[in-house]
Amino acid sequence: MQRIFYILAICLFTGISLNAQSYKLPPYEKFKLKNGLTVYLMEQHEVPIISVSVILPAGAIYDGEKSGLALLTSFALKHGTKNFNKQKLDEELDFLGASIGTSSSKESASLSARMATKDKDKVLNMLKEVLLEPTFDAGEFEKEKKRWLVTLEQQKESPRSVIGSYFDKFLYGDHVYGNIGSGKISTVTPLTVDDVKKFYAENYLPEGAAISIAGDFKMAEMKTTVTNLFSEWKKGTKPQVNLASKPITKPGKQQVLLINKDDAKETTFYIGAPGISRNNPDYVSIDVINTLFGGRFTSMLNDELRVNTGLTYGANSRFAALKNGGSFVISTFTAGKTTEPAIDKALEVLDKLHKDGIDEKSLASAKNYVKGQFPPRYETAGQLANLMTQMFWYNFDESFINNFEKNVDGLTLDKAKEIIAKYFPKDKLQFVLVGKSADIKKIAEKYGPVTEVQIKEEVKKAF
Amino acid sequence: MKADDVKTFTLKNGMKFLVIEDNSIPNANMYMFYKVGSRNEYQGITGLSHFFEHMMFNGAKKYGPKMFDQTMEFNGGANNAYTTENVTVYTNWFPSSATEVIFDLEGDRISSLSIDPKMVESERGVVISERSTGLENSPWNVLFQTAQGVAFLEHPYHWPVIGYLDDMKNWKQADLERYFKTYYAPNNCVTVISGNVKFDEVKKLAEKYIEPIPAQAAPPKVNIVEPPQNGERRVVMQKDVATPYIGIGWHVPEAKHEDYYALTLLSDILTSGRSSRLYSSLVDKKQLATNIFANFGESFDPTLFNIAGVTAKNISELDLEKAIYEELDKIKKDGVTDNELQKVKNQKLMEFYGQVETINGKSNNIGTYEVFFGDYRKMFDAPAAFNKVTSDDIKKVVTKYFTKSNRTVGILKSNTEE
Repeated sequence: MQRIFYILAICLFTGISLNAQSYKLPPYEKFKLKNGLTVYLMEQHEVPIISVSVILPAGAIYDGEKSGLALLTSFALKHGTKNFNKQKLDEELDFLGASIGTSSSKESASLSARMATKDKDKVLNMLKEVLLEPTFDAGEFEKEKKRWLVTLEQQKESPRSVIGSYFDKFLYGDHVYGNIGSGKISTVTPLTVDDVKKFYAENYLPEGAAISIAGDFKMAEMKTTVTNLFSEWKKGTKPQVNLASKPITKPGKQQVLLINKDDAKETTFYIGAPGISRNNPDYVSIDVINTLFGGRFTSMLNDELRVNTGLTYGANSRFAALKNGGSFVISTFTAGKTTEPAIDKALEVLDKLHKDGIDEKSLASAKNYVKGQFPPRYETAGQLANLMTQMFWYNFDESFINNFEKNVDGLTLDKAKEIIAKYFPKDKLQFVLVGKSADIKKIAEKYGPVTEVQIKEEVKKAF
Repeated sequence: MKADDVKTFTLKNGMKFLVIEDNSIPNANMYMFYKVGSRNEYQGITGLSHFFEHMMFNGAKKYGPKMFDQTMEFNGGANNAYTTENVTVYTNWFPSSATEVIFDLEGDRISSLSIDPKMVESERGVVISERSTGLENSPWNVLFQTAQGVAFLEHPYHWPVIGYLDDMKNWKQADLERYFKTYYAPNNCVTVISGNVKFDEVKKLAEKYIEPIPAQAAPPKVNIVEPPQNGERRVVMQKDVATPYIGIGWHVPEAKHEDYYALTLLSDILTSGRSSRLYSSLVDKKQLATNIFANFGESFDPTLFNIAGVTAKNISELDLEKAIYEELDKIKKDGVTDNELQKVKNQKLMEFYGQVETINGKSNNIGTYEVFFGDYRKMFDAPAAFNKVTSDDIKKVVTKYFTKSNRTVGILKSNTEE
C-alpha cells in the first residue's frame, strides 16, 4: 500500500537542479552513419554497465486499418534472428543477465538493451540482429498473438488500463493520434506474419532512426563498434510519409463519452482538451504551471479532491506532448456514489485557476520543485540513453537541459497568467467516464450530450 | 560501492543512521524504516499501520496540517511512503541544499504529531478509495488477499495490509495515539541517507533535530506463530475475468533463515526471463498460461513463496496448476543444471549493479538489509552467499517446502458454479 501513485509529469525531462550546483548534461558525441542512422554516445563509468536505446518512426500512427500491427511487429523482433532462433536468443540473454526490450508507442517503436560491460560485443551483436535481421517465425507469431488477444480482453477488467485509448479516440477522432496502439480483438485476430514483414520493411529504416549508447565504454572503440554493426542497414527506397502532420480537428462542443462497466464500483474519469506539441516554445512554463495545477502532491487538484474532501486517493493533470499535437487531461477516480461531487470539484478547481490565477509564493514553490526533482531523472546510463533518443526524436539538444534552470526562473506572474489563459482549457471539455451507467448516466448528462458504449464491446471507429 | 562506503552512528535515543556519501547528482534522499506493519495489528484495528502512514503527513506541532508537504515541495523535495506486513517506510527525495529542512520536518512529526479528528475523517475517505481502486483495477488484489487469509489462519499475515472495510470505518482516536507512542519511537526506526551530503553534517543535524526525541519502551513482541499446515487448502473467488487467475502459496521461512538464498535463486530459476523453467515450459511451449511469475520477499516471520499465473484461452486452470507441480517435481528429482545456476547468479550480479546505480537504490537496499537481515553488511555479503548455493541446495528446499500439504491454492474466475 503506497501513499501516492507515481504522478506522471508533463513529459520525461523537465526541470533542472536547484541552487549553486546546476545540473549539466555530461558530454556526449553525436554523428550520422552513411545510411542516415543517427548515433549518440556518452561515457558513464559509475558501474560496469552499458545501456542502449533505439528509436524508429514505426509507431501506431502507421497501423492503418490494422490496429495493433506496430506493437506486434515490435514484439516479433524477438522471435528469432539470422543466427539465433528464439530459444537461443532468450537463453543467451538470460544467461548473461542482459536484456533486450522491444516496444512501440503512438509515434515510434523503440528498443532498449542493458548489459555488463564485459558482454558488450555479444549483446550488441544480438541487438543488431534483432533490429536488422529478424526472421519473423510464423509459429512464434501465432503464439504471441494468442497471448495478446487474452491481454486485450483482460485490459477491459481494469478501467485504468483502457480509459486512455477511449479518450484519445474521442479527442483526436480520425487523426492518426487517435489510433489505438494496443490494437483491438477484431483487428489483431486476422494479423499474419506477412503483415508484420511488410510493416517492418516499410517502417524499420535507418534514415529516420537513432541509437544512443550510454555507459562504461571507451568512446573511440564504441564508435568503431557501432559503425561496423549498423552500417550495413539499408536505407528505404521511398520516403516515409509523416501521417501525423495532417491537421488535428478540435472538438466543436463539450461532450461526454460514457463507458458502461456493469460491475464497476468506482467511476474513473478524464476531463480533457487539446494540448500542445513537444516543440511548443512555452513547454517549460506550461510544465511549471501544470505542476501547480495537477502535477504534484500539493497541487490544486490533489489538494481539493484528496486532501480537503477525501473523494479520491489521487487526482492529477498532465500534458501528453507529441510531435504534432497533444492532449491535456485531468485524471482521477471516485466511488460511484460520489461521481457528481468529484466531477464538480475538478471543474471548480479548473475554474479557480482561470479566475484567481496563481500567486508569487506558489509560483516560487513550483519552480523549486521542478528544479529540485530534475537531476534524479538523468542519474543512470539507461535514463541518459533514453534522453538522447528523445533529443533526436523531438529535435532538441543539451541546451534544453543546460538552460532549463534559466527558463524556469524566467517565468513571471504575468507570463503565468498568459500561459493559463492560452493553454489550460476553459470550455469544449471532453469527458470520458468509465463506470456503472445505470447509476451515473443522469449525472453524465449534466455535462453535455452523452454517447454511451459498453466496455465489453470494441472501441468504435468514431464516436 | 563497498561496505566501507556506508558510515553509521546511533543516537542516544536509539535511532540508527546509515549514511552513504555520493555526489554524482546534487540531490540526496532520506529513507526511514519503522518496524511496524500489519503484523503488529489485531482484528478490530486491521489496516491501522497503513492508515497511520497517511496520518504522518497530516500535521504536527511546528508544521500544521498540509505544511509538511507544502514545505517539502517549496524546498524542491518530494516524498512518498509505503506500508507492508512488516514495515512502514518513509521516503524523501530532495536537492541536498534542503537537507536541514527535511530533518526539521521529520523531527517535528516524530516528536509531536497531532492527530486532528477532522483530518482523520477526510483521510479515512482517502484510504477507503485506495482500497477500492486496488480491487477495481487488479484481480490479483482480490486473489492474494483471500488466499493469504486462508494460508495464515492465526498469524497476523492473515489480514490484508489495507485492512478490512469495517475496521477501516471504525479506527479510533485512542488507537492512533497509542500507535504513535508505541511504534514511532526513535528506537524503532532505522534511517538511511544517500547522496550529496557529508557524514559529519548529517550527524550534526540528527543530533539537533532527532536526538532530543525520547526513546520509548520496546514495542510488544508478535507472539503468534502460525501452526504448521498439514493439508492442502483451496479457495475459489468469483470475478468477471477473461480467463482464470491462479495463485499458489507455500509456507517458507523468514529472511534471516539459511534457506533464504536458495529460495531466492529458485524464484529466479522458475520465472526470471523467458528461458526460465516455468515461462519456457508453460507460457511458451505448452501455451497453458499467458504469463507466470513467482514472488518471495523479505519478512520478519515465516512467509509465503507464491507462484501465480493467468490461464491461456480455453485452458483449464487445473491443467495449468498440474503443470506447475510437474515442473517442481522435476527439480525434486533431478535438481537444476549448473548452467541454470550460473545464469541466475549472473542475473543477481546485474541486479546488484542496478541497485547501486542510483542513490535511491542504495538507500532502499541498505535499509532493507539492515532491517530484515539485522546488518547492512549482509548486502555486500549477498553475492558470495548466492554464489555458494548449489544445485543440491535448490533440490533440498523444493523437496522440503513444496509439498501438497503445505500449499494453499487460490483460483479466481468468472464462473464459480461449474
